[in-house]
Amino acid sequence: MRPEVDAILSSLAQRQLVELAPQLGGAYAQGTATLMALLMRLAAEEFENAAAIRAAENADFRALFLEIAPGVAGPRLRAKLKAAAGDKDTSLKISALNAANEHLRRLLIAAHAHVETRPGAPAREAERAILAALKRSADRRFVAPLAV
Amino acid sequence: MNGALDERLRAYLRRRLGRPDLEISGLARIHGGASRETYRFRAHYSVGGRKAERGLILRRDPEASLIETERAIEFCAYRAFHGTGVPVPEVIALEEDAGPLGRPFFVMEEIADCQTASVLSGDPYGAHRDAIGRQFWTILGRIAATDAAKTGMAALVDLPPVETAWRRELAHWMGVVDEDEQEPQPIARAAARWLERNPPPVARRISVVHGDYRTGNFLFDDTGRIRAILDWEMAHLGDPLEDLAWALDPAWAPQDPNRPGGMIARDEAIALWEEASGLAADPAALSWWEIFASFKGAAIWISAAREFADGRNRDPVNAFSGWYLLAFHNKVLADRLVARAAA
Repeated sequence: MRPEVDAILSSLAQRQLVELAPQLGGAYAQGTATLMALLMRLAAEEFENAAAIRAAENADFRALFLEIAPGVAGPRLRAKLKAAAGDKDTSLKISALNAANEHLRRLLIAAHAHVETRPGAPAREAERAILAALKRSADRRFVAPLAV
Repeated sequence: MNGALDERLRAYLRRRLGRPDLEISGLARIHGGASRETYRFRAHYSVGGRKAERGLILRRDPEASLIETERAIEFCAYRAFHGTGVPVPEVIALEEDAGPLGRPFFVMEEIADCQTASVLSGDPYGAHRDAIGRQFWTILGRIAATDAAKTGMAALVDLPPVETAWRRELAHWMGVVDEDEQEPQPIARAAARWLERNPPPVARRISVVHGDYRTGNFLFDDTGRIRAILDWEMAHLGDPLEDLAWALDPAWAPQDPNRPGGMIARDEAIALWEEASGLAADPAALSWWEIFASFKGAAIWISAAREFADGRNRDPVNAFSGWYLLAFHNKVLADRLVARAAA
């Protein structure tokens, strides 16, 4: 499909921001139209990046689980982490990637809370690895400051 | 479009203010924070046979709010600070009965010929940046210095002990995340656990906390004078460092983190706050509250996204907050947690 979705949204956003919003009567209508244009810009970026962000994050979390699972003291949690580490994304649909991502995020929260309570160097190392993965996740999903 | 609201507001004000000839004109919605519908209008009436006119603001509860707040607390804060060194509009009437306008509301004075700054603006204050900055941090210090007992807020909100003021706020915003998250939030939850495991030093004082004191929530005029501090809907009593840390948060001027809020340098800002408040901003305590501030921000944006998704409030600001600002605060929190772990 050409033009692509992100190109259409970016173009509409620009037109709404520059041409249409200033012509609207009233500050509330102008402000709302401007915000809607910014949302279209964000949606354009999301269309381009959404699948890649989710696929990368899911792979990253699975690799993390493979790394930290041996040091997890609780056998049930350890087994869940190992099982999740062996999974793969079989669909690139956003809904499928999101479902997998939510499962992985729940496990990550449980693993993080677990290692925080454990003494010893291996637990601290696992904690650092989890925080590094969270930072990579935040960096991937970060949206550069918008300027109006 | 506002015909029905026009008529109901006129009838209410005639009765409430005892002015049977009162008329209103120019009722128009304006942006005024996501937790209230805000309208500007003019009231016309006679005083002693002479015509009088006044610009007023209507703040009405929305059907669903970005943050669920008590308009009585906001009203009380405006009333408490009016006429003090903390500039606020004069409040006119508070109505907690949904009958007159469909939802509770209050009416206050309009501060004319002013503007607010956008957090998305690269240079929100132009040539008045430094002058506005000096006022901004000094006024926040004055709020912290105000005797909370004299504001009347203690009758409306809990007075927390100095030892546990932090815990109450953390519990509140953790509850918001629990209730409103649409997907698991590992960064916000990691931050909340860190905050709980590493409590801040005891508060030096319990003060009025504005709750949302930042760029975008005050009015300034063309001469660079701050004319009104707005949006007190999250006001409560607590550790005054909570407000200082919130105002310092990088979300309000992401282009230059060394100039919080897009105003003066951070060190000067803190020094002015200390001078006006009579308090020292203990670095350890402030550091805790800065992580809390970003966590609180994340909680608010998680809640905003939920409001939008559920259809309870389709204001685009809720979708924008759930995308842009949540991603921003997740990054700030992740960076800070990594830094703490490495320290």
